[in-house]
Amino acid sequence: MALFSERREGISHVPLHVVLVAFTLFTIYPILWVVSLAFSGKQSLAIATLPENPTFWDRLRAVTPWPEQFSVSNFASVMTDQPFAKWMLNSAIISIGTTVVGVFLACTAAYAFSRFKFPGQRTGMMAFLVSQMFPGTLMLIPLYIILVQWLGLGSSRLGLIIVYATTSIPFSVWMLKGYFDTIPRDLEEAALIEGASVGRIFWSVILPLAKPAVAVTALFSFMTAWNEFILAATFMDQETMYTAPVGLRFFVGGFSQQWGYFAAGSIIVSVPVVFLFLFLQKYLVSGLTAGGVKG
Amino acid sequence: MTNLRTLLAALCLCAVGLLPVPSFAATELVLWHAYRAEEKAALEKVVAEYNKANEAKGVKVTTLAVPYDAYADKISATVPRGKGPDLFIFAQDRLGGWIEAGNTVEPIDFFLDDATKKRFIPTTMDAMVYRGTTYGLPLNYKVITLIYNKKLVPTPPKTSGELVTMAKKLSDAKAGRFGLAYAYGDFYYHAAVMNGFGGGVFDAKTTPTMNSPANVKSVEQVLKWKKDGILPAEPSSALITSLFNEGKAAMVFSGPWFVGEVAKGVDYGFARLPTLDENKGTPMKPWMTVEGVYVAAPSKNKEAAYDFAKFLTDVGAGKTLALEGRQSPANNAVYADPKVTADPLLKAMKDQVDVAIPMPNVPEMSMVWTPATSAMNSVLKNTATPKAALDVAQKSVAKDVAGLRTKK
Amino acid sequence: MSQNAPQQSPSAAGTVRASPNHDATAPSDPGPSGRSGGGNWGRVLVGLALALGLSLLLAHGLLVRAQADRGAERAQRKSVVALLGLTDLVQRAGGTGDAVGAVVAGWPRPQGGAARVIAFSGIKLEASTFPEDTGDKAAPRRLSREEKPLYDRGQRLRAAVETNSEEGGARKSEVESETLPSGGRLLSAPVQVDGQVVGSVEWFTPVLTEADPISWGPALLAFLLPLAACAGAVFALSRQGARVAVAAVLFAAGLGGYTVYSLRTLDAELRETEEAVSAELRTRGETAQKLMAAHGLDAEPALKPGAWDADAMRRPLGQLTDAGVPDAGKLAERGARVRGDAGKALGALGVLGLAVLLFIGMGALHRTVATAVEFRQAYAYVAPAMVGMVLLVFFPFAYGITLSFTDANLYNSSQPLSELWIGLKNYTDILGDFSFAKTAADGSLVFNYLNFYYTLLFTILWTVTNVTIGVTVGLLLALALNVPNLRLRPIYRVLLILPWAMPNYITALIWKGMFHQQFGVVNHVIRMFGGEGLAWFDSPLTAFFTALATNGWLSFPFMMVVSLGALQSIPGELYEAARVDGANRWQQFTAITLPALKPALVPAIILSVVWTFNMFNIIFLVTGGDPGGSTEILVTQAYKFAFERYRHGYAAAYSTVIFGILLIYSMVQNRMSRATEAA
Repeated sequence: MALFSERREGISHVPLHVVLVAFTLFTIYPILWVVSLAFSGKQSLAIATLPENPTFWDRLRAVTPWPEQFSVSNFASVMTDQPFAKWMLNSAIISIGTTVVGVFLACTAAYAFSRFKFPGQRTGMMAFLVSQMFPGTLMLIPLYIILVQWLGLGSSRLGLIIVYATTSIPFSVWMLKGYFDTIPRDLEEAALIEGASVGRIFWSVILPLAKPAVAVTALFSFMTAWNEFILAATFMDQETMYTAPVGLRFFVGGFSQQWGYFAAGSIIVSVPVVFLFLFLQKYLVSGLTAGGVKG
Repeated sequence: MTNLRTLLAALCLCAVGLLPVPSFAATELVLWHAYRAEEKAALEKVVAEYNKANEAKGVKVTTLAVPYDAYADKISATVPRGKGPDLFIFAQDRLGGWIEAGNTVEPIDFFLDDATKKRFIPTTMDAMVYRGTTYGLPLNYKVITLIYNKKLVPTPPKTSGELVTMAKKLSDAKAGRFGLAYAYGDFYYHAAVMNGFGGGVFDAKTTPTMNSPANVKSVEQVLKWKKDGILPAEPSSALITSLFNEGKAAMVFSGPWFVGEVAKGVDYGFARLPTLDENKGTPMKPWMTVEGVYVAAPSKNKEAAYDFAKFLTDVGAGKTLALEGRQSPANNAVYADPKVTADPLLKAMKDQVDVAIPMPNVPEMSMVWTPATSAMNSVLKNTATPKAALDVAQKSVAKDVAGLRTKK
Repeated sequence: MSQNAPQQSPSAAGTVRASPNHDATAPSDPGPSGRSGGGNWGRVLVGLALALGLSLLLAHGLLVRAQADRGAERAQRKSVVALLGLTDLVQRAGGTGDAVGAVVAGWPRPQGGAARVIAFSGIKLEASTFPEDTGDKAAPRRLSREEKPLYDRGQRLRAAVETNSEEGGARKSEVESETLPSGGRLLSAPVQVDGQVVGSVEWFTPVLTEADPISWGPALLAFLLPLAACAGAVFALSRQGARVAVAAVLFAAGLGGYTVYSLRTLDAELRETEEAVSAELRTRGETAQKLMAAHGLDAEPALKPGAWDADAMRRPLGQLTDAGVPDAGKLAERGARVRGDAGKALGALGVLGLAVLLFIGMGALHRTVATAVEFRQAYAYVAPAMVGMVLLVFFPFAYGITLSFTDANLYNSSQPLSELWIGLKNYTDILGDFSFAKTAADGSLVFNYLNFYYTLLFTILWTVTNVTIGVTVGLLLALALNVPNLRLRPIYRVLLILPWAMPNYITALIWKGMFHQQFGVVNHVIRMFGGEGLAWFDSPLTAFFTALATNGWLSFPFMMVVSLGALQSIPGELYEAARVDGANRWQQFTAITLPALKPALVPAIILSVVWTFNMFNIIFLVTGGDPGGSTEILVTQAYKFAFERYRHGYAAAYSTVIFGILLIYSMVQNRMSRATEAA
């Protein structure tokens, strides 16, 4: 805390602020651009039309992320021309389901890896890491066979939840195991002496302490499910069962591209995740780092 | 304990949404497509008409729109396993692949009578035939044609000689003006010239013929046009659009997708691609993509499905799809309607399609694009002669084809 | 990776020991006690019984299967002879007309069998002896709608014949056979007249049970005798090792005896098959001669019944001589092959059985069970996640690896993988192709973008640049944000984290839009300052840059957050102390900050390398590999091999290579970081 403490009240932070503001602008520029496309009421990629011989200022206008006129027509079309609200709801159900299932499975496994010593422990952890390395793009057909043909979970939300939860498990287990390792064992031992069962200790001692890591894994699981497109498009056989990313892809792809709709849809889809990020921010920093330390 | 409660609440919320949706058992036909906006609306209108007419028979067609990016994979994954639709609409380029993979597309020769066959533009019907068997009914087609700025070109050229003379007058490379602009580096566009010279990418036995003399000649021809200065140097589709919109390109070769990008106020017309003086006046023959309606092989109601496919490709449906969906139907009789021919785009498409040839529907076609594009690039950047570049492409395609056909 | 500090493990063990089952398992703790004579004769006997029982059961099963296969082969070959013989006659009759009907009627049929001929022209049933085709349904007539499959099958055969002749190979079956739901078998062959396929002949035979059932006697004998002998030996010997050795010998004897019996049975069966087919061939040949004479059929070219004994491609099998008698040499050859296969299978069984025997006899099973019971709580906790992973990750993964040893592609996707086995060929093709680049005529280097090593190099370049950018930018921002008393810090942090929160497919498409040649913002800015807009996706370098910009933008927030967390965990006193010691800021950074960052950054870097290496979305959506596949990374290339070139086996091998590379990378990285930790 004492570093650079001779500088009080931020006056000498001005150069730093300049750099940070510049970089932040660069960072959020694409997002602002999407916002202005979304509110432009048009489908073109261009924010402003250029005259015959554009001057510097015309061009500056064309790159300024501010629509020529404001209109919410893109949002209205996105929400009304197709059952976008229903798709958002599907996405929400599937993502929350994935989060619950994924985090639960990851927590129990990570706890065992962290607290028990058992044969196969190292192999197990390695297996989780290794699974991240096989390219997933060729998995579509095998997954389809297992889930739809064997388990009969085609066109159901449960099927997608199971797939997404399993894909999110490896990262979550590593994350959580690292974090659990940093929690001192004295607490558990005390509880043990009082006669609490292992399950109870896990539930009421460890989990509350591991909140940051649980929050991070929950966020990751949620995002896995929230953003996935190809499996959702393949497994779902009814328009009412599509998820939001599937709906979004209608606007781009094939011969015609409706950038305005896509931008509006993107914003609608991104807002929940952004809020989740903001909400979980305080956990994010401590959860990720501490988890990593012991990884 | 609050997080426990939240967890439980979340669990319950999920459980509500988890129950699989029951499926209907009646003679319901499911049709998959990848249309959007007005195309989708027109299709749905036709489907509604059919459902109304066939209510008594208990046949009901429902549609499912699939995002284009996931469409092909979805069909490959679901249809052979009996979980797909009864019918689906797709361009012919994937047809061969699905037939070879098996249990995806139902042959329909058995149902197909001569009267039905005759109602289509013959070449569009050809696109539906794979190894002598018909697999679908053609719904619509897309083809490139000559689009010109009426202000700059009062009468469109009929031959390549006329085209070059006219274009030379309109070109001024320094001012960034060009008589002609098209994505000649893109093999799909180049195919019009290539086919015009009698070339092609496969022979009748699907052996690659990338470096056939006709193909070499066609690439040399494009090089010559480029040297004449009538073509812009790096013809990306965006550049062509902007040149045309700014009145700096008098003529372009492009398809119906281009029309949507033309700026308001540009007065443009359509004409058939010119004939090639360099090859005894044969016409340029662009590739066309034909979207067909296919009956899925595992469908339980193949006859009903075929019946619907027939309805969808009939004149009445064709008119709706043309006038409201802005498609070019493959059904010949649609063009007898003055309302359809009054639309310059539809008329131009019909005019051009007579000399167009269907893009090959063999699975080997997908192996052509990358090598062909590389060949065009190296020729246009002068790193290889047309012959040498096409030799390389030939080798690469032949290798891929051989890789697919390895025998034990 | 390092386990928790040793001083903590007693308490960890304590958690486990607290489970009640531990005391129960402790006394029977295996290991030394198993070998110390006395009590464990039971294990040897149980082991032998299980091993022998299991392998004999399997061996018996295999024999029954082989016997049934032989029976099926006999039936199939006899049917094919009948089918192709009939087809031959139908072809001589011109494929259509009264003669066809007469030939079909006159061709001898087994009890309940039937034949029919379909002509494509007019979609006709030309002739039929099927019981349902009588009365008003009698041939010739047009096929009814329900009979579409017959017509389609004929067309399929036509397409197969044409494909095979076009490609000059034998890729598609020219004789189709299927088992009908009713149980009979239906075979069909194309009718070729003047080189054109004009129809098809179908031949139906009801189920034939030609295989003699195999008795259980020999198997039972091979089981009981060794067991009895072993029981005696076990009591005579006292050392466990000796007991197990005796059991192993007895096991080998039992299984060996049964093997000899099996091979002899198979051999006899084989000879019988050839004789049966040969008999069929001769009778059919004679009948054919008679029918040809009776109906005045074209006698040219001469009838060659030997050719009727053919495979699915209508190629003669050559097992019989032209005269239709079994070829002794061929028979011996085939017998040797069959014996070899059977021997291999039984050998594998022997190894398996021995393993079981040793596993049980030496007490390993006991130990395994004991371990599972002892640590059951831990396993119970891990199991749910593991089950999911095994089912949905490792199973497809294993399938992918299996696929990589085959030549599976679009054309043969219906065949079983065992028939497509090509061993390591895919791997040698991928790794053995060094045509990485060549010099063009003008001396410039032309890369072969489809070459594996080019793509690998590009992927490494892609990964290294991305991770470097991500770490550098992330770390710098974290350092900046960690400055004490910085105002607006929360706002910066929120805004800078946004790229991470946006779904990456959206980001990818947005950036692609920003690099649009005409409307893209990037080109506008360039033009603002008088430059020319670039066609970003037309040259490998600029296309690479677009993907890099996109992914860099996407990935720095993660690194920033990780670094920020690590920075915040450094106690301020450390800096204070360092300053007291006179360290300057750079020294503080290298001595305190970097070491403190390392434990958090290293795992994050490993993860991000793995992620970036396989970052499909960005490359696929932003550049799509353009131009000409030059910006393809390994995963997108694998995707193209599978879905553009339809070579599933090759693509699977590609994926496995990617996996191997990452695995080696993570192992090396792991070792390195451990080594530095130790240093």
